[in-house]
Order: sequence, then structure tokens, then C-alpha cells
Amino acid sequence: MTAATATPVRFQPSVAVRPQSFGRTVHSEWIKFWTVRSTIWTLVATVGVMVGISMLAAWGSSIEAVDAGSGPMNTAQLLSAGYQMAQLAIAVLGVLTIAGEYSTGMIRSTLAAVPRRVPVLTAKAFVLSGVVAGISLVSMALSYVATMPWHEDLGATFDLTNGETLRMTVGLPLYLMAIAAFAFAIGALLRHSAAALTAVIALLLVIENVLMLIPVRAIELISPFLPSSAGRRLLFDAETLEATDAITKGAHLSPWEGYAVLVAWVLVLGAVAAIMLRRRDA
Amino acid sequence: MIEAQGLTKRYGPTTAVDDMSFTVHPGRVTGFLGPNGAGKSTTMRMVVGLDRPSDGAVTVNGRHYSQHRAPLQEVGVLLDAKAVHTGRTARNHLRAMAATHGISTKRVDEVIEMTGLTSVANKRVGGFSLGMGQRLGIASALLGDPQTLILDEPVNGLDPEGVLWVRNLTKYLASQGRTVFLSSHLMSEMALTADHLIVVGRGRVLADAPVADVVAGASGAKVRVRSPQADALEELLRHAGAAVIATEPGLLEVMGRSAEQVGDAAASAGLSLHELTPVSSSLEDAYLQLTADEVEYHSTAFGTETISGAEPANQGASR
Repeated sequence: MTAATATPVRFQPSVAVRPQSFGRTVHSEWIKFWTVRSTIWTLVATVGVMVGISMLAAWGSSIEAVDAGSGPMNTAQLLSAGYQMAQLAIAVLGVLTIAGEYSTGMIRSTLAAVPRRVPVLTAKAFVLSGVVAGISLVSMALSYVATMPWHEDLGATFDLTNGETLRMTVGLPLYLMAIAAFAFAIGALLRHSAAALTAVIALLLVIENVLMLIPVRAIELISPFLPSSAGRRLLFDAETLEATDAITKGAHLSPWEGYAVLVAWVLVLGAVAAIMLRRRDA
Repeated sequence: MIEAQGLTKRYGPTTAVDDMSFTVHPGRVTGFLGPNGAGKSTTMRMVVGLDRPSDGAVTVNGRHYSQHRAPLQEVGVLLDAKAVHTGRTARNHLRAMAATHGISTKRVDEVIEMTGLTSVANKRVGGFSLGMGQRLGIASALLGDPQTLILDEPVNGLDPEGVLWVRNLTKYLASQGRTVFLSSHLMSEMALTADHLIVVGRGRVLADAPVADVVAGASGAKVRVRSPQADALEELLRHAGAAVIATEPGLLEVMGRSAEQVGDAAASAGLSLHELTPVSSSLEDAYLQLTADEVEYHSTAFGTETISGAEPANQGASR
């Protein structure tokens, strides 16, 4: 400390700091994702609901309480039986991943560390959809094991070389990933947990299902292109697709067309969210 | 080094920051002083790119903040203590921030210890007091060992020990050659901490000078003189060109002359003095003078009709 005041000291950093990068942003988002309790709750709820409803469906079909359709049962259908309830938990997770940062003010710390901003959105979506895909596969595996006692009764077969079975099996993780990303984009746009949760859940649970039943031409035309109505066709077997088409008058999309429509929703909303993120003050 | 050029931020019809230009230099603590609503926080948010300027620009170490390869190594920022997810523990918050720049967990533990958060590091931030939140914000700012530190109202909510700690810390950081930019609306705190002041009011820079100069610039020093021959002394000093105010019989305030000059003048004229006191103006005087017209939220003086009239009625109604 000699003559420190006379000559200005040149600052010498002593801590190893690496350049900001996308990989490091993903790592940070990975830590953030697993260190809030809402993640654990929603994932446990997802698995619980998926396995529980699969078991209910298997049991119900075996006592003929549920119309199991004709012919041998496709196990893939059994495994994704809980998608409607599970998607709600997944949507909550998707919204909270981003909106939770706005409601707590965390977003300011996040954007100060990653000032280019858009990588934050991409990294979060990346972590979220990866985990959702993983949890979907875990749920399906557990559902398979849990419904085994009924497989023989139901004549259920699980043959991944069958195109439809394969499509329905990969369909569940793909569908839930897209729903998570959809909810995430809404959360990023509205920047408010409660508002975004209300919007997403009302849309998935109420609006889409109610609109399907309203016999007004304009609504009939729009209804098949709503996110879940379109995307969930990837999870339906031929019989369910036919039954759905029989009661709806608008376009009848193929399963993959329907999924493409859902992905388009995600991409458009995600792009708008990214533009808004760049423009708005944090 | 922070350089602002014509920095302006408008929210609709209100202008929060109005054409501010200033430079914050390394190696000293620069205080950003102004009343609430003067645009201090908005300016600091613009420095780190959280708010987009309506006009003008601000750079840190020669570049826009977002163009640095490792922003946390350039600037550590405490914007407000509440910029943290309440459901995460302090340590996990810091780990996540560190991960964006590949900063080690060892450094995370270092800043936790440095800021005295060791005992609460594994507790969720939602339960933190304002003071602990401030310490966490400062820990977060120190994480990347940054060249520049921007601290918005860092002593808010801290206990006296914490205030002292921030004061010593900021001085120490500046002595290492860092740029330290510190905002406050408390002039007493600034007088003790800062070397240089940028005083703002209603979004404009009112003064940008070393603390001593800001103080000296305020109306200048005064000399208080008590004399049984005050009238004659007043006459004498006026004649010599000094500004004199007779505040009460036998008491004068003299501007523009030192105590020695006043004493010598009295002696040579054979006038006796009972008191001769130099009165230096404080930073508080300087600050109040500078910002007198610029305060956004004027408080009503006590004893006015609104306060004395309304208060008892309200209390009566609520009881």
C-alpha cells in the first residue's frame, strides 16, 4: 500500500471468468429450473396423473366401464390416456419457467447477466422441452409397468414396428413438449404468472373443447386449428380420429398435419415473444 | 469507466432522464445523488441495458454493455434487492448467475462469505429481510470480480454495521482501481463515502464535481460576527465590498471575506468583537440548494392546515 493515492491503480481481475455463451446460459437455466419447488411439484403431478389415469383406463376397459373400441387394444393408447390432465401440469410448468422470473423481479438479474436477451428464451425453452420429453418417457414406462396386470385381459399389444403405435408413442413426448413450449411462449408474452396460467389453462381445458361443440360456421372452420385440438391428433389411433372427425365439421387434419399446426403456433408465439423481449424494458 | 452521452429516457409524456452526459472514472467512488424520482435508477438500468434509452447512449469501458463478451466481468450491478426469485436459495441464485459466465462454485462461496450470508445461504430468498436482500444483491454484483460496480441505493435497509461495511467495501473496491458508481438520496452517506459527486434532479445533471467542490460551490462560506458596534462594523465591511446581513441586533453574517480579514478590519478600525466564527456550508446545504427547484415530491411543512386540521378528525373516525 505504498503511494497508492499518488499513482492511480490499474485494476487487475483475479477471478476466472469465461465469456458468456449459449452453453453457459443453458447451464444456468438448468440450475434455475431444478432449484425452484414448482418444478418438482408439476413434474410429480405429471407422472402421477399419467400413471394413475393409465391404470384407471386399463381397469375401466377390462370391466367394460369404458368403451374400449373394437378389436385388440393398442397399449400406446393406454399409455397416453392421461395426456389431457398431464398437459395442465406441464402448462403450469411452462408458464412458471418464464413468468416466475417476471413476478419476482429475477428477470432483471437474468438479463443483466445475458444482455443479448434472446438466448435466455432459447435456453429456457431448450431445458424445459428436454425435461418434459424425458418425464413423458418416464411416465410412459411407469404406465406400461403399472398397467401390466390388465394387458392380457385387454389383449393389448405394443408393437413399435407398427406405424400407428410408433407414431402414438413418440407422439406423447412430442405433444407435451409442444404444449410446454406453447405455455412458455404465452408466459413470455404476458410476463405475469396468474394471467398467463389463466389464459393457457382456459384455452386448453375450456375454450377449445367448448368451441368444438358450437355449430357456427366460422368457429367450425377455426376450431381444428387451435393448438391442442390440432396437436393431440398425434396421440389418437385411427378409430379415435374417425370418431372425432364424425362430430366435427371443419378441416380434418392428419395426425402429423395437426402436430405441425401446434408447432407453428409455438414458433409464431415464440418469435413474437423474442421480438418483444428485445424491445421492451425489463 | 462509464460514459453517458445525451442519455434520455421518456415514458410517454414524462421525461425521467433528460439529456444526461457524464463520465464515471475508475479509482474512486462516484456518488450519484439526487432526490427520489430524479432518474437515478433509470439511468443505472440504461447503463446495463435493461432499459433502452429514448435518445443518447451510454458505454461501459468503451462499449455498449451488451457487446461485451463477458458482461459480468465488466460490470457488477445491484439494481434492487428484489431482483431475485423468491423461491430459490441464495446460494442457488448465485450458482445460476455464476454459471452464465463459467464462474466456479468456489467463487460463489467466496462472495457468500464476503457479504456475511454464510448462515442463510441455503435459505430461500423469500424469507430474507431487506438488509439480507441487499447483501445478496451485492454478492451477486461481486461475482464476476468486475472492473465496474453499479450499486443503486446499496445502504437501503442495512443496519448501522451494514452501512459501515458498504462504506468500507466501496472505498476498498475503488482503491483497487475499479470504477464504483453508487446512488443514494442520502447526502450524509454520500459525504462519508464518495470522492466525486454527480448531483441530479428531475432527470438533469446539476453538478458533477469532487465532493469538496460541490460543498464549496454552495453559496460560499460565511463568517458570523458579534459586536457591540455592529452598525459601524457593517458600514466598514460594506464599504470594503463584502456582503453583510444583519441577522439580529449586534450580529452580522459576512459573505466573501474570511474570518481573519473580518478580524483584522475590525482591529484596524478599533472595533471590539465578541464573537468571530467561520461557518462553512455542509454538503447538505449544497445539496438542498442544488435540488431546491428539482424535487419531484414536495412535502408539506408541518403545522399547515391540511395536516393539523385533518389528522385529529381521521384519528377520531378510526377509533
